[in-house]
Amino acid sequence: MPKKTYDATPEHVLCRRIPTPPFGRFEDRRIISYDDYTADSGYEALRKSIGMKPGDVTEEVRKSVLRGRGGAGFPCGVKWGFLPPIPEGKAPGEPGAERYLAVNADESEPGTFKDRLLMDFDPHLLLEGIAICCYACRLSKAYIFIRGEYHHQAKVLENALREAYDNGIFGEKGLIAGDANTGGDRFRVDCYVHRGAGAYICGEETGLLEALEGKRGWPRLKPPFPAVQGLFGKPTIINNVETLCHLPSILSNGADWFCGQGVESSIGGPPSFGTKLMGVSGHVERPGVYEFELGIPLRTIVEEHCGGMRGDKKFKGAIPGGISMGILGTDQYDAELDFDIGRKHNVLGLGTACPTVFDEDTDMVAVARNISRFFKHESCGQCTPCREGSGWLYQLMTRIEEGGAKTKDLDLALEVATSMGSMPGTTICGLADGNNWAIRTIINKFRDEFEARVARTFVPVKVSVGAMAKG
Amino acid sequence: MPTITINGVACEFTPGQMILQVANAHGVEIPFYCYHDGLSIAANCRICLGEAWAPNPRNDNKLEPFMGGKLVPTCQTQAQDGMVVHTDSPKAVANQKAVMEYLLINHPLDCPVCDQAGECLLQDYSYQYGRGVSRFEETKVKNPKKNLGPNVYLYSDRCIMCTRCVRFTREVSGTAELYVDGRGNREEIDVFPGVALDNEIAANVIDLCPVGALLDKDFLFAQRVWFLKRTASIDGITASGDNLWVEHNEGKVYRIKPRTNLEINKHWITDEVRYGWKHVHSDDRLRSPRRRQYGALVEDDWNRCLDKAAEGLAEAAEAGKRIALLVSPMLPCEEAFALAEFALSLDPHAVLGVGPVPFEGQDKVFPPGASEDDARAFKLYAEKAPNARGVRRVLAALTGAEPLEFAKWTARAQADDAGAVIITANYREACPIPDLLRVADRESGRFVVVIDTLNGPLVESADVVLPGATWVEKGGTFENARGTLQAFDAAIPPIEFAKPEGQIASDLEAALRGVEVSATSASSVVVVDEGPGQVPQAAEIATPRGPTFSPADTRTRMGDTHAALAMFKTDVRYPEAAKPEEADMRMVEL
Ligand SMILES: Cc1cc2nc3c(=O)[nH]c(=O)nc-3n(C[C@H](O)[C@H](O)[C@H](O)COP(=O)(O)O)c2cc1C
Ligand code: SF4
Ligand code: SF4
Ligand code: FES
Repeated sequence: MPKKTYDATPEHVLCRRIPTPPFGRFEDRRIISYDDYTADSGYEALRKSIGMKPGDVTEEVRKSVLRGRGGAGFPCGVKWGFLPPIPEGKAPGEPGAERYLAVNADESEPGTFKDRLLMDFDPHLLLEGIAICCYACRLSKAYIFIRGEYHHQAKVLENALREAYDNGIFGEKGLIAGDANTGGDRFRVDCYVHRGAGAYICGEETGLLEALEGKRGWPRLKPPFPAVQGLFGKPTIINNVETLCHLPSILSNGADWFCGQGVESSIGGPPSFGTKLMGVSGHVERPGVYEFELGIPLRTIVEEHCGGMRGDKKFKGAIPGGISMGILGTDQYDAELDFDIGRKHNVLGLGTACPTVFDEDTDMVAVARNISRFFKHESCGQCTPCREGSGWLYQLMTRIEEGGAKTKDLDLALEVATSMGSMPGTTICGLADGNNWAIRTIINKFRDEFEARVARTFVPVKVSVGAMAKG
Repeated sequence: MPTITINGVACEFTPGQMILQVANAHGVEIPFYCYHDGLSIAANCRICLGEAWAPNPRNDNKLEPFMGGKLVPTCQTQAQDGMVVHTDSPKAVANQKAVMEYLLINHPLDCPVCDQAGECLLQDYSYQYGRGVSRFEETKVKNPKKNLGPNVYLYSDRCIMCTRCVRFTREVSGTAELYVDGRGNREEIDVFPGVALDNEIAANVIDLCPVGALLDKDFLFAQRVWFLKRTASIDGITASGDNLWVEHNEGKVYRIKPRTNLEINKHWITDEVRYGWKHVHSDDRLRSPRRRQYGALVEDDWNRCLDKAAEGLAEAAEAGKRIALLVSPMLPCEEAFALAEFALSLDPHAVLGVGPVPFEGQDKVFPPGASEDDARAFKLYAEKAPNARGVRRVLAALTGAEPLEFAKWTARAQADDAGAVIITANYREACPIPDLLRVADRESGRFVVVIDTLNGPLVESADVVLPGATWVEKGGTFENARGTLQAFDAAIPPIEFAKPEGQIASDLEAALRGVEVSATSASSVVVVDEGPGQVPQAAEIATPRGPTFSPADTRTRMGDTHAALAMFKTDVRYPEAAKPEEADMRMVEL
């Protein structure tokens, strides 16, 4: 049964083969080949899955309440359920029944470097997850959209992919060679690595689809949702690397096992089960990617696992998971990293759960300026509020940092930030929400620091004094 | 029929329509930039957003906030029965204000030197939805001015990135010359290196552009648009029947723009039609009548030339010779009728023929690959005459036989019994056809009356030359390649002493009857547009000698007198009456 609290010494699931403190040393990490992978029960979960009905695999994932690890935390099984049925009398992949998996390996959220670990060292875990997903959802082609800067990881993946093709995971004799394509529910699955050209917006799921189609990465209007009309107009599932990497262990051990990790929601929302890779960066003694159960307090991560704040400085604030999420204030050091964090601590959400920690010496105005620069640079330029607002915010932040601003500029920045985003509905995608939350929460949670930087705005007020009032 | 309430107005709609489309159809105003009826939906400008409530069938059809109550793009959200939408709610208005402010922060605000000023959606919406002052104190992004192609300039600093132009080149012309370069607020529209924006319908992007970013080189700094008057017209140079606006001031055409007609040209016109009015003001226009005197052509007044023409024609008729009339396919049906009627009154066996129909290139349908009958298809016609079918129809009805095509007519007109010929041309270029010149050859002893608009060899060989009017200078009806009859009005008065061909027919007939010059009262002179400043100052309008020719009356008479022309009473399509412009300023009595 799911338990309610966070377990301090979790079993490593994603990092099972990747040495990670406390069970191993960062220095001992190396690429896990197909042979190493299979020697350690690799591809067993796929073997088990293809013995099941595809619908049963999906059901198991749905029961596990595995929530997307790419940022939005949308339950994976529910997303799969949105796929329309395959047209009557057609096999997956036949003309008219094409459907795709797009693997989101774009990982460009600043401060986020967790998917990279998986692709760096355990590529077959991802490939197994992909194979299971394709089998369960009847998807005939999978595209791994990997960010352009990950050239090393792309090579690792391509090598692993070759091994997987050679060993009957994908291709003509795929989904475990030997008994492949011998009727039943099995069919040919192909997998490709597609390298991005270096734009944050291509990590947004529909921007990613456009980029895969060879177009400019401009997010699409939704509806229609990708599960209904995605890549090349066909039903498409988009999942994050880490989300897919969870599938093998869920299928091997069952949904109940997965629900035994992590925490239930403390505020009546959907639960946060399972473990999570957390890439800690910033002013801590030992930054790096760790695996924890969801629900772990930020303080525990920093103090117990990362060797504390760097140089014993005081904690000032942290970004919970990518700068789009906004910031945790000095008084929110104890925030638990689970999917409730947004509602409990006034940030946008858990995001990628890769905290960036700031110590007391950090200039929050500079942080805000730097963040706004990122959004200005990465706005795809489609929606007016995001295109123009992000540039304006950057200009305002720069002026505030340089000391040329007034209080009214702070209010203006807040107004501009608040006006944009897909949640208020004024933009197409969530990039603007990120900008909105980041700037708004930093100004609101560190308002003193901003006010100290700006000159007061004097509003001329007409005062009527005595007899003159009549004049 | 399902109904949606937009800003308090109940609007019926067809399922599938977007909220904005329904609003547009019912005259409910919602601001929009990126949406265009003829293009795919991009929903990127974000000014059309509204708040919506929809009935929830699971909750007794109670109205509930739609999409969780966030703002929705009305251009991209389908109308639902019972939905209530507000683009005038505080939230929606705040967004409109914000979007207007964003669009203007990096805009150069150079309206005083911008051609679009006066018909610019940025100006209009600033006035209606924007805020009065700018709060932007930073440095503006300055994007460059670009030469995109033969007809189009891009002032990218004025661009609001609505992508209408990009979508047009991808979805309509299919040529995809334009694309978006860069990201964020440094984004620009551009052409690929070495690929100019040059296709048969490229200049439509100028009309599409809601702001002054894409400008017409031909119209650049030519006129402030508020001085222009627009007259609904029809393509007068090809067989398309495309609906146009002729925009003019003080008797001069400044530009031609497409007039939306979903059955014919959709929202577009070809560049050929757009710039196909240059001959109207050509230096080579015939400006006054001429007659031959001692072997040379001399300019003379209308009356003397009309008398001379009447005399020559009557002489041939009295001698029992044939009168041959060539009706140009450039002329509207009414004028073909008047001319043919006149020729038949002189000689009941007159030889009537249709002038040469020029063809150039091939028909082409846009977007490439579409069939002509597709709802979105737009066709370019190789046939470069607006009314070949109409002229044939009229001549056939008058003679009861198929009219002679040009080749046959030239043979007949050169036969020994042909005593006089009346040739009408009115082409965009002086007619150089050798066969025609042979008919008009003065050595042959035939009496030749040429009614044309441009100087050229044909004119040189005439006995009497009467200056006609181009299609923008007169009214009439054209039958396009698909058999649609469409009426149009004169936009400007004829140049100097030129007259519409229909009037010339009427005058010739009067001259033949011996009507004296002063018989027509000056009050019957038709001034095209009485609006202030619309007739050139001190313009001398050639007074008619016969009854004033009226295309509308002629149409009625055609229908009344010939059963085969009954469609001119019933089937002619007229341009929609222009909606009165809503004044956005109230006059205050001082
Ligand atoms: C601006 C923006 C950037 C994003 N970048 C990434 C990314 O780099 N990697 C990723 O996995 N998801 C990214 N996402 C989230 C995806 O849109 C999508 O939610 C996710 O890939 C779904 O996968 P999941 O359900 O497995 O998490 C981004 C979202 C937005 C709005
Ligand atoms: S919100 Fe920004 S990044 Fe997202 S589609 Fe709009 S302009 Fe592009
Ligand atoms: S040039 Fe005009 S039509 Fe093209 S994107 Fe800019 S504003 Fe829109
Ligand atoms: S008109 Fe709807 S977003 Fe532009």
